[in-house]
Amino acid sequence: MVEIRAKNVSKSFGEVVAVDHASLQIDDGEFFTLLGPSGCGKTTFLRCIAGLELVDEGRVYFDDIDVTDVPPHKRGTGMVFQNYALWPHMKVFGNVAYGLKIKGQKKEEVSKNVNKALEMVKLAGLGDRTPHQLSGGQQQRVALARAVAINPKVLLFDEPLSNLDAKLRLEMRAELKKLQRDLGITTTYVTHDQEEAMSISDRIAVMDQGKIMQVGTPRDIYQNPQNEFVAQFIGQGTFLDGKSMGEVDGFLEVELTDGKRIRAVPSDPTNPPEPGDSVLVLIRPEEFVIGEIPDGNRFECEVYHISFLGDAQRIRARGEAAVFVIESDPDVSLQVGDQVTISSRYDSTLAVRLGR
Amino acid sequence: MEKGFASRLRGRFSIQKLREGLRKARWEMDALSWTQLIAVVGVFIIFLIAPLITIVGRSFVHEGGLSLHWFKFIFTDDFYFPLSLRFSSNFPFIGLEGVKGSFYDMIEYVSGAGEEVRILYLHGYDMGVIPNSIFVALSTTIFSTLLGFLLAFIFARYKFFGSGILRIALLIPLLSTPFVGAIGLKKMIVADGVLNKVFYTELGILPFKIEISGLMAVIFVQTLLFYPIVFLNAYTSIISIDPSMEEQAENLGASGFKLFRSVTLPLSMPGIEAGALLVFILSLEDLGTPIVFKGTAAEKVLTYQVFTRMFTPTGYIAEEATTLAMILLLFSVVIFAVVRKYVSLKRYAMLSKGGVWRPRRRKLSIPTTILVYIFTLGVLFFATLPHVGVGLLAFAKEWGPTILPGSFTLDNFRAVFSDPGTTRSIVNSLIFSSVATVVMVMLGVAAAYLVSRKKIPGMGTLDLLVTLPVAIPGIVIATGLFLLFLGTPLSPLLSGAPLLIASYTIRKIPFTVRSVFSGLEQTDKSLDEISWSSGASRTRTFLSIIMPLILINILAGGMLSFIYSMSEASTGIVIGDANHNDAPMTWKMYDMLFKGLAGGVFQPAAIGFMLMLLQFVMIVGSNLLLRKRATSLIGI
Repeated sequence: MVEIRAKNVSKSFGEVVAVDHASLQIDDGEFFTLLGPSGCGKTTFLRCIAGLELVDEGRVYFDDIDVTDVPPHKRGTGMVFQNYALWPHMKVFGNVAYGLKIKGQKKEEVSKNVNKALEMVKLAGLGDRTPHQLSGGQQQRVALARAVAINPKVLLFDEPLSNLDAKLRLEMRAELKKLQRDLGITTTYVTHDQEEAMSISDRIAVMDQGKIMQVGTPRDIYQNPQNEFVAQFIGQGTFLDGKSMGEVDGFLEVELTDGKRIRAVPSDPTNPPEPGDSVLVLIRPEEFVIGEIPDGNRFECEVYHISFLGDAQRIRARGEAAVFVIESDPDVSLQVGDQVTISSRYDSTLAVRLGR
Repeated sequence: MEKGFASRLRGRFSIQKLREGLRKARWEMDALSWTQLIAVVGVFIIFLIAPLITIVGRSFVHEGGLSLHWFKFIFTDDFYFPLSLRFSSNFPFIGLEGVKGSFYDMIEYVSGAGEEVRILYLHGYDMGVIPNSIFVALSTTIFSTLLGFLLAFIFARYKFFGSGILRIALLIPLLSTPFVGAIGLKKMIVADGVLNKVFYTELGILPFKIEISGLMAVIFVQTLLFYPIVFLNAYTSIISIDPSMEEQAENLGASGFKLFRSVTLPLSMPGIEAGALLVFILSLEDLGTPIVFKGTAAEKVLTYQVFTRMFTPTGYIAEEATTLAMILLLFSVVIFAVVRKYVSLKRYAMLSKGGVWRPRRRKLSIPTTILVYIFTLGVLFFATLPHVGVGLLAFAKEWGPTILPGSFTLDNFRAVFSDPGTTRSIVNSLIFSSVATVVMVMLGVAAAYLVSRKKIPGMGTLDLLVTLPVAIPGIVIATGLFLLFLGTPLSPLLSGAPLLIASYTIRKIPFTVRSVFSGLEQTDKSLDEISWSSGASRTRTFLSIIMPLILINILAGGMLSFIYSMSEASTGIVIGDANHNDAPMTWKMYDMLFKGLAGGVFQPAAIGFMLMLLQFVMIVGSNLLLRKRATSLIGI
C-alpha cells in the first residue's frame, strides 16, 4: 500500500522542458490520472514515477522512501503501455511469468500466479498462444495481467486504451476500473481523452506545458476550473471576456467587453477575482435555458448551427459578445436563423480569474 | 579574450555539470555496459586510432627528425605528382602540364602467320600516382553512379516481364571482391582475351582488337563490381518515396522530366549520395585490382605504391610509404567527412503517415521493354564477365586464345587441397575469420546496443568511431598496424594471427554494427522498458529480452562480417606477406599469381571460385534471415 509523492519534479530533453517543477501527491489506493494535450509532459511525468526517466530536479517518494535515484527494477511498479509491449519471442504465459521468475518464485508458484492473473483478465487457458495470435483487446489484457501478476506497489498506465476501437475501449475502461478497485493498488494513469479521465479517475491532474494546472476530482475540474487553461481544455462551453466589478447581492458582478453587466460566481472560491481583475466567464452548454428565468443572465443571439445528438441537441448561436454553445432538449424546435433569448443562472455562470 | 575562453571552458566543465553527468552515467550504465564500452573503445583505440596516429606522426619523420621532407618530395616528384599549371597569353590562358602519354595507342604488326594485326590499347593518361588515384576513384564513382541510378530508376518505376529476376541478377557483382573479380575479368579484356576472340575474330564486329589495360582496366573492373552498391541504395530510396508526393506534384502540374527533377531525384538523393560515397572510398582503397593488373600503369595508384614500398618479410617500411599512406588516408577521410555531413544534413525524413503504400510502378510497352532488355542484358553481360571468367579458369585445364578453355578438369581444386601450403592458408583464413567474427559480434552488439539505448553523452562519437573503418583504406590500416606493433609481442613477423584478426575485426565490424543497430532500432524500446520495470536489471533485460529479439540481425551481420573477412585482400596480403605460415588464402592467391610456382592463374581462380560460392551462400543467407528487417545491408 503505497502513496506516491512528487516534489518539484523537472525533466528536460535538450532545450525542451517536458516536466516543469511539478508536484503532486497520489493517495494510497487511488486511481489518479494525468490528463493533458499531447506534448504536455504527462507521459514523461509518468516515466519519472516509473523510473524510466532520471529526473533532473526534484524528488519522488513512494511512501516515505526516496526513490528518485532508484532504478525501475527496484521500484516495484507494474506498467502497461499504449502499444502493449508484449515480448514477441515469448508465449502469453512467458510474458506474464517473466516478472515472477525474476522474483525467484518456484515453478508451481509461478504457474499458479500466472493463471490467477490470466483469469483476472478473462484470458484463462490462452497461456500457450503467442502474442501475435491474439486480437488487440486480448493483447491489452495480457499486458494488464503481466502488470498485476507481480503484485506491484504501483500500477502505471500510459494511454493503455488508445489503440482499441471505440466500443472495446468503453468495455476495457470499466473492467480496468473494477480490477483496480478490487486490487486496491495505487494507480497512475495517463490519457489525453478527457471523457476517459472523467469516467475512470478518483482524481485528475490537468497538465499543460510541463506544469500541473489543477488537481481535483472530475467534478471539481469540470465545475470549478481554477484557471483559463483548465476552463478551456475541459468540456465545452461559452466563453466571454470581462472584468470583475466586485460583489453585488452575494454574486460577482462582471462587465463584459461590450459593456453589458452580468452576475456570476467565482469558479475557484478559494481564490476569487478582486475588483478590476480580468476574468473569463464560462457557461457550460447544459446550463443554458431557452427563454428567461429569474436570477439569471439574459443573452440575445441568432442560431446558426444545430446538431442533433439523439438525447439532446447542441445549438450554436451568435450573440454580440460571443458564440454561444447551448445544449437543449431535442424537443425544442429551433431553426437556423431564429432569434432566441437564452439565460443562465447566476450561480452556474462561472468567472475564471485570469492572469495568474 | 583569453579570459573569455577560460570562463567558457569553466562553464562547460563545471563541477555541478560533472556531478550531473556522473549521476546520469551511473543511472544508465551497469557493469555490463561499462565492460562493453571499455572493450569497444579499447579495441578501437589500440587497433585503429593508435595505428592511424602512428601513420600521421611517422609521415612527418625524415632522417630521425620532424620534417615535411616526404610531402615536399612526393609533391615535387614527377612519379607521384608531375602536374603543374601553365599560364599563357593565348586562349584558354591556362593549361595543365605533366600529363604523360596518350589516352590510347594503336599498335599494328604482322603476326608470324603473316596476318596483319591491329590492337587498340585503351589505358588512359598517366598523370602521376596521386592524380591517377583520384582520377580512378572519381571515374569509377561517376560511372557506377550513372549506371546504378539509371538501373534503379528503371526497376523501381517500371514493371515488365522478368523485371523481378533481372533486378536480382543485377546484384551478381556483389558476389565477388575486386581482387577475385579482376582475376576473372583480366582473361576477358586482354588482347588475346575472350572478348576479342568473340567480337573480333569470330563475329568480326570490331575493326581491330581492343585491350583495356592500365588505369582504364581498374576503372572498368571497379565500375562493373561497384555499380550494384549505388543501384541498391538508390533503388531503396526510390521505392520508399511516398507515391502521394509525386501524385501531389502531378496534381500541381508537374510531369515528365520536371517531376523527376523536382521531386523524384531530390528525394532519392540521400540514397544515391550514400552509395556514391561508398563507391568512391572502395575504389580509392582497392588494392586487389592494381595487384592483378601488375605490370601495367595500373600500378601507378596510391594503394599499390604503398604496398610495394613495404618490404614485409623484413618488416621494413619505407618512410616514403608512410607519407603516401598518410595522403591516402587524408583523401578518404576528408571525402567521407564532407559527404557524410552533407548527406546527413539533407536526409529527408519521410513525413508520411504510417501505412503501407504501393510503389508507383508503371507497365512498360513492348517496344520499350525490348529496349530495357537490351540495355539490362548488356550490363549483365559485362557484369557477369568477371564471375564467368573466374568460374571457367577454376575448372580449366588450359586456356589458350579460344573462347572457352580447351578442356575442363577438377585438377585445380585437387591441387589446392593437396598442397599443404595452400590448405594451411585456407585453414588460416577460416580460423582467423571465425575468431574475428566472434570478436566482431561481441563488440558490434555492444556498440550498437550502447549507441541505440544509452542516453549519455558521447554515444554519437562512439557511433562515428565504429563507422570510421568504412572510410579508412585497408592498406593504411595494415601499414599503421605494422609500424605500431613491429618489435612488440604482437609483431606480424612473429605471428600473423593477432594483427590479421585485429585488422579483420576493425575493417569488417561495420557490417555487424549496422545489422544489429537496425535490429535494435526496429525493436520498440518499450519492450526493454517493460522488462526493466517488471524487475529485471539492465543486464538481465539485455540478455533475456534484447538479445533474443535481435538474434537474427546478429546472425546476418556476423555472416557478412565473416565472408568479407575471408575475402579481405589488402590487409590479408600485406600482413600475410610478413609471415607465410600464418598467411590467409588471399595472400596465397597473390603468391600463386606472381610467383608462378603453382601453375599461374588456375589455382588462384579455383580459390576465388570457392570464395565466390561462400559469398553467395552468406549474402543470400543473411538476406533471407533479415527479409524485410533491413534494407540494402550489403550497400554499407
